[in-house]
Amino acid sequence: MKTYGSEPGAPESVQVGISELVVSEGNDTLKSYGLGSCLAIALYDPGVAVGGLAHTMLPDGDAAENSDLKPGKYVDTAIRALLRRMVERGATYTDVEAKIAGGSDMFQFESFGEGVGKRNAVAAREELEKLGVPLVAEDVGGSHGRTVEFTPETGTLLIKGNEDIGVTEL
Amino acid sequence: MKLDVNALGTFYRMAQEGAGLAAGRLTQMTGVDTQVGVTKLNFMRGTEIRHDFDDGVENVGVRVELSGGIDGHSILVFDRGSAETIIEALLGDSNAGLGDELSQSAATELGQIMNNGFVDGWADVLETAIDVSTPEFQSGTTASDFFGDLEEAPGDDDLALVFQSHIEAVGAETGFRHYLFPEHESMAVLLERLRSNEGIEYDKLEGFDRMAEQGAEEVAKTATTLTGIDTTVEIRRLNFVSLEAIPQEVANEPLVGVAFEFDGTPSGYLLFLFDEQSAREIVDAMVPMETDDETDEFTEMDRSAIKELGNIMASGFLDGWANVLDTTIDHSTPEFIHDIGAAAVDPVVIQLGESQDYAFVFDTTVVADGQAFDCDVYAIPDESDLERALNDLDVSRIDETPTTAEFADLEGT
Repeated sequence: MKTYGSEPGAPESVQVGISELVVSEGNDTLKSYGLGSCLAIALYDPGVAVGGLAHTMLPDGDAAENSDLKPGKYVDTAIRALLRRMVERGATYTDVEAKIAGGSDMFQFESFGEGVGKRNAVAAREELEKLGVPLVAEDVGGSHGRTVEFTPETGTLLIKGNEDIGVTEL
Repeated sequence: MKLDVNALGTFYRMAQEGAGLAAGRLTQMTGVDTQVGVTKLNFMRGTEIRHDFDDGVENVGVRVELSGGIDGHSILVFDRGSAETIIEALLGDSNAGLGDELSQSAATELGQIMNNGFVDGWADVLETAIDVSTPEFQSGTTASDFFGDLEEAPGDDDLALVFQSHIEAVGAETGFRHYLFPEHESMAVLLERLRSNEGIEYDKLEGFDRMAEQGAEEVAKTATTLTGIDTTVEIRRLNFVSLEAIPQEVANEPLVGVAFEFDGTPSGYLLFLFDEQSAREIVDAMVPMETDDETDEFTEMDRSAIKELGNIMASGFLDGWANVLDTTIDHSTPEFIHDIGAAAVDPVVIQLGESQDYAFVFDTTVVADGQAFDCDVYAIPDESDLERALNDLDVSRIDETPTTAEFADLEGT
C-alpha cells in the first residue's frame, strides 16, 4: 500500500502489497502479508545494505502486455526491476544475492493444473539463474500461507506461518 | 447505453489515479501522512448508498459540480471527528472544531483541494479537461443532506455505478469517502468512447444484481437451516476491482474458509471465509456432542462439518445464480483452509490473472444477531464467461424469476 509523505531518516516499516515492489536500505523493514501462491522475492547487496522486496503474482511478464506498467506483478520483470533500482541506489550487480518465499499450492482445483504457486517458484529460479544472481535461501511450496518481513541491512528474511508452521528465518 | 470491461477498467484507473492525487495533496497541505485504501467501482442501488449514511454519525462534505470531460457531481464525505482532526492539524489549533467560519472555510478549502486531486486524476486518465465549480460545504446525518437535491443521484431501485475510494491518515482514525455521481447522458457518451467491443447492455446489469441477491439469500437461508443460528444478509455488493485489490481487502488475520471452483456459464471460484470464533461457533452448533476442548486446532470432524456447511451454501448460492441465468452451474468438492486471510484468496486471483486484469466480485456478508457468525462470501467469475452469461440473459425474465428452489431440493447435491 502506498503511503504519501513520511519522515525522512527514521527506520520505516513499509508494506509491500500484491504486485508491488519496494527498494530500500538500512534498517527499514519491508513486509508482505498473507502470501499464498504469490511469491516474495528479496534481493540485497550485503556490502552496501541496499535491498528490495517484490510481492509477485504471476510467472511470465515478458509474455504480458502491461508488464512495463506493473513490473512487480510478474516474477521475471520484478527481479529485473529490483536489480535496476538497487544498482541506482548504490548496489553492485555482481554482489547481489536472492532469497524467495511463498509459492504455496493451497487448493487442488482442476483448473489450477500443476499448481499456480509452483509455477512462480520455478520462474524465479530460472530468471535468477539467467541473470547470474545466486539464490542463497528459499522457503517455498507446501499448502500454507506466509507473512514475510525483510531487512536490507542484514538481509534477513523472516517468515511467519500459521500456528503449526511457526517462524522461519532465512 | 452499453459497457464493457475495457470501459470499466478505465473508470477503475480513474478512481485509483484520482485517489492517489487527492491523498498526495492532503499530505502536502496538512503534513499528515496518508494512504489510499482499496479503490472500488461499486454497482449500488440508491437504497444501499443511503444505507451507508444511516449510522447516525454526523458527516461533513464538500461538493462540486463537474462539466466538460464528465458531467455530474463529486462529493467528498468525512465524519465530523475526522474533519476536525484534519482541520486542527491544518490550522495548528487543537480547539478549532468546525463551529466557526474560519474552520468551515478551511474544511471547504481542503475538500476543494482533494476534489481537485480526484478530478485531475480522472482528467489525466481520460486525457481531457474537466471543469470544477466552486465548492459547497455540507453537513448532516442522512444521505439526502448531501445529494438529495441532485437529479443524477440514483433512485432507491436504480443501479448506479459509484466510484468509491478510501483515504486514511496514517496512525489516526481518520478516513474519507468519495462519491462521484455522473449524469446519465455524459456517462453514456463516455462509455461509448471507451468501449472496445460489443459489451453488455447496461440494463442487463440488473441481472447481476438479481444474481447477487438470490445467491446471498440462499446462503443465509442454508446457514440458518443447518446451524440453527438465525442469520441475515448484511452486505451485498457487486464490485468491479483490479485483481490485486481482492486479497488486500481480506483481513490480515487467521481465517477459516471453504473454497470451490465452479463450472458452467459462468465458471469461476467461490470462497466462504469465517473468522476463527465464528468457525468455532458453527462447529459447536453442528457437532453438538463434541466436548469443548480448549485447543485452537480444528479436528477432522470440525473440518468436515465446516466443509459440509460450505458445500450446501455453495449449492444454494450457485443455484440462485443458475436460476436467474436459466442455466446449470456445477461446483467442485470443498477445499478447507485455515490460514491468514489473503493466502486463501491469492491462488484464485493468480489463476484468473493469467487471462484478466480485473474482476467482478460478488461480495456478501452474512451475520447473526447476538452471536458470532460472520461469513464473507466472495464469488469471482471468469470475466469472459460472465459477459457471455449476461449477454444471453433475457432481461424480461429477470422480474419473473421466482425465488430459488426450496431447501429440500438441495439436499441431494
